[in-house]
Amino acid sequence: MKKFTKGLLGAALLSVAASASAVTDIDIENSFKPYTKGFPTVEGVVAGLVINKDNVDKYASVFDKGMIKHIKDGWVDITVGEPMDFVLNQRYIDATKAGAKNVKLGEKTGQIEGYMAGRAFPMEPSLDDPRAGEKLAWNFQYGYNWGDSAAISPFYWAYKNMNTGKIERNIKFNFYFMNFAHRVSQDPVPEVSPNPGGLFRAIYLNVAEPFDVKNTQLLIHRSKNDLKRDNSWLYLGFQRRVRRLATGQTTDSFLGSDLMIEDFEGYNGRVSDMNWTYKGTRTMLMPFYDASKQERTDKYKEADGYKYSTYHGKGGCFPNVTYSLRKVYVVESVPVDSNHPVGKRVHYMDAQTFTLPRTVTFDRQGKYWKSWSIGQAHPDHHLPINKGSGVSIDDSFGIMDIQSMHCTTGQFKGIVDENLVKKKQFSVQYMRSFGK
Amino acid sequence: MKNNKWHLKPLAAAFALAGLVGGLSISQQAVASIDTGDDTLEISGFVENATYFRNKVGLSKFRNTLQLEGTKLLGNMGAFSEVSINGTFRATYDGVYDLNSDEYGDGAGGAVFLTPVVPATGTFNVAPGGGIPLGNLTTEGLRNEGLEILGQSRHTVKGHGVELAVPVRPCDKDSRGCLDGYMDDSLNELRYSDFNDRWDFIRELYVNAVIDMDSGTTFNLSVGKKQEVWGRTDLFRVLDILNPIDYSRNNIYDEFEDTRIPLWMATAEWQFGANNLLDDMNLQFVWIFDKFRPSKLGQSGTPNQILGAGELFRSLNLCWEEGCTASVFAGVTPDDASIATNFGPGVLGIREADMPEWSLANSQLGVKFEGVYKDIGFSLNAFYTRSQLPSLRAGIPSDNPFTGSVLTGGNYGDNIESQYYSHLISFDIHFPRVFLVGGSLDYYSEALDTAIRVEGAWTKGEEFADSTQERLFSESEVARWVIGADHNFFVRSINKNKAFLLSFQTFGQHILQHNRVQRAFGEAGIPDRENNYISTLLLQGWWMQDRLSFKVIQAYDWGAEAYVVSPAMDWLIDDNWRLQVGANIKFDRGPAEWADCTKCSPFSPYTDSTAPIHAGGASGEAGLGGIEPLGRFIDGPIGTARNEDEIQITLRYRF
Repeated sequence: MKKFTKGLLGAALLSVAASASAVTDIDIENSFKPYTKGFPTVEGVVAGLVINKDNVDKYASVFDKGMIKHIKDGWVDITVGEPMDFVLNQRYIDATKAGAKNVKLGEKTGQIEGYMAGRAFPMEPSLDDPRAGEKLAWNFQYGYNWGDSAAISPFYWAYKNMNTGKIERNIKFNFYFMNFAHRVSQDPVPEVSPNPGGLFRAIYLNVAEPFDVKNTQLLIHRSKNDLKRDNSWLYLGFQRRVRRLATGQTTDSFLGSDLMIEDFEGYNGRVSDMNWTYKGTRTMLMPFYDASKQERTDKYKEADGYKYSTYHGKGGCFPNVTYSLRKVYVVESVPVDSNHPVGKRVHYMDAQTFTLPRTVTFDRQGKYWKSWSIGQAHPDHHLPINKGSGVSIDDSFGIMDIQSMHCTTGQFKGIVDENLVKKKQFSVQYMRSFGK
Repeated sequence: MKNNKWHLKPLAAAFALAGLVGGLSISQQAVASIDTGDDTLEISGFVENATYFRNKVGLSKFRNTLQLEGTKLLGNMGAFSEVSINGTFRATYDGVYDLNSDEYGDGAGGAVFLTPVVPATGTFNVAPGGGIPLGNLTTEGLRNEGLEILGQSRHTVKGHGVELAVPVRPCDKDSRGCLDGYMDDSLNELRYSDFNDRWDFIRELYVNAVIDMDSGTTFNLSVGKKQEVWGRTDLFRVLDILNPIDYSRNNIYDEFEDTRIPLWMATAEWQFGANNLLDDMNLQFVWIFDKFRPSKLGQSGTPNQILGAGELFRSLNLCWEEGCTASVFAGVTPDDASIATNFGPGVLGIREADMPEWSLANSQLGVKFEGVYKDIGFSLNAFYTRSQLPSLRAGIPSDNPFTGSVLTGGNYGDNIESQYYSHLISFDIHFPRVFLVGGSLDYYSEALDTAIRVEGAWTKGEEFADSTQERLFSESEVARWVIGADHNFFVRSINKNKAFLLSFQTFGQHILQHNRVQRAFGEAGIPDRENNYISTLLLQGWWMQDRLSFKVIQAYDWGAEAYVVSPAMDWLIDDNWRLQVGANIKFDRGPAEWADCTKCSPFSPYTDSTAPIHAGGASGEAGLGGIEPLGRFIDGPIGTARNEDEIQITLRYRF
């Protein structure tokens, strides 16, 4: 009888978890504007505070264990900055209000029903909800991210030896993002037509320098159907040929960096590729900042005077930015594929923007493997064109392979400008044309 | 043989390149490229030294390269947008012709002595002109210097078929056997292979422009000298045939990017994008208006001659122009070939290469329809072109060496006539028109976790050596295909972060009108097999953030039973320096033989054998043969290079 009751209860919970939610506009307002009543506070953590190996124990509650260790080891000092409200684009919020009540999870992980646009599950997650992690993953997957389309052009990566700080390799990229479906702010809305392949989103990038990988291009098509594999193509400049990528290559070191394709934007895969678990909500220091108040560099000259993020700490691997207190959902993702190189990722998901400013990766043996930080710049204090875009701008990244003491850093010039992104860029033929 | 000269001028050029390498001092922090101070102008490039050592030969390559690539964005011009000028310029100096001139330069070759099975003239070592007198060689034909025996680098020569002398020095140093306009490079043209009358130092120079139409279609127009790549497979050229290939650079082993010979062409492409059926759809027209260029096969006396074609053609042209002594040609009895024989000019060999002149009618046209349907990428291709490989067509007017020869009681030249003889091995080289239709597709198999690539093509108009035909060639349709599979897999114990790449391909060729027959002394017909397959296997791994990679490429020619393994290391030392060290090692079953028309009896009754095919004085292939000259087609490109094992070192500085 007890067993039966337990089973019934479990079924009921699953049923609740999968059903369309009774979400209200207040829930949605709380989701997008969690700081209306003030920013979170932690005693002593105020703007200007520098947290270093001498005082980190006192502020341990605002960091993940990996970051605590790095600070304790003297690898980096964290400076606290002013908190900022990152309110996403109003059209995205409106789309959430219009559609969230119709959204529910399908039977299997990766299935979602009734979703049109906006944040899929704006209600506060519950530890009692066995599929809360999956819902948060959907919120990330369908996050406003770079908006309907944007470019990072250029995008400088540096491969560094953490022990010596020596830069071993520099690569200059151009990245382009475009949502084919679930669009909210740029015409056409809600979907590009025709879209016979049922694409949700596409990422296209090309390499401008150095010479040996110049014109290397990557195209990723992600389907609206999350159970369908991504299609990926790689154009190799020296071969002048487009090659279809095997899925395994998305979990491969991308062009020798410390990132996998799957690491792009914090996590670049299907929801159904992982088992997601919500582990709780925390107040943490995250790299959210006003770019105009950070130390910037003009090492790469830009005609518009744009200056790039800088790096400091061990090996020059940490974004040299201020951190501010944020409401964070802690979500674990465990790969479904037993051959996946990752054992587990712990994502520190920003509750307001659903970006992934911090992810800690463990290998299959459970050992700490990678520390992955993406600095988020406020759009109103970045490039003029980004002002008012409601996009949390990826502005700096540092990913460290702790086991091999190597890191890759990235300096973004993120531009939310639909004129820079053309639908044709996301076709295989464009890669051939561009690569000539 | 001992005239190894160190030429000041090319060496100065080599040192100048080396100095350039040493003198460049671009900041380590800067990503490698030249800062032009102009956002619309990109320039980058590299200097490189490639030094190869060949077993038992020594230096086989000392190539120094300066390459510059640039793009100038011009923006919008009239109806066009994204207008750009793109250029790639390459200057190459190969010092092997100076540093190992005994093998490959103006000191190459020497005196040769042919080795008849039966010494009808009293010796087993017959110099040119020392055969039985069926004709007289010219003074140049008798000059016994700067020569090798055809095929001596690939196999022993004695008693294994026809022996011919072949000049091996550059054509300005020794013009004997050099065809006008084909395989006739001077020493400087070999040293500086990019500088010739076709301006090959311009690797590419073209204007590209785009019209974005309101319908969403993008029209892309490109005009200039360029490479245009079709197909989806590596290493094999089933559809990737718009540009001919320079095999003289490194046989079949260099990247096509470096070996495609760019042509002046215009491409017009409509990129329609997605529609209700296809995820992507494009239509491309290619018009190659450049003067026809065949693939470059490497000329006699150079390190890389695919199939040994260069030396064969030169020996045959020598024979036509100056006369020659062919060993093991005439027989003691009607049915053998054992005696060295002298032929005068105009009897045997290659008369000329018929290089198509420029004309509108001689231009080439291609069309490609490409798209993505569901998860399958595909293309349909058609190309009206010319064969990039030479066809030897016999049937040219030739002299009968017997009428008036001393053997028939007179003096050669008294009563010779020039007329057509069937089955006579006197040729002109042609590049016939070829029409190709084909297609390709790629697909990712989730079940196999493998990307699959397929190409196929059917051609009409190709010609093959066929000694059973009166003019010693026949035309056949050909079907070719490649299937490739790419699989990435991890071996975590060796490399935690990076998967290994395993890439397998098999190429197949089927000659539809294949012809082989059994004749009195052996098999005859088309030496190329009716069906042949070559498989390749690539295994590659990367370490140190992809800065260090090891790969092993293996290829096996199933028909020729020839195998090559090529291990290589590639080390990106930093953003500027790159070192590649590799080897290329071949194994095969040894040289094959094929009927060579020694017993074709073109001059009945003087050349009759007892073979039934010669009954009544008819000419025809009786099937007698040897390694030379046609065994090379049995051995294939891997087998004919059996003695070309190499260690290869390449150092590049990019900027």
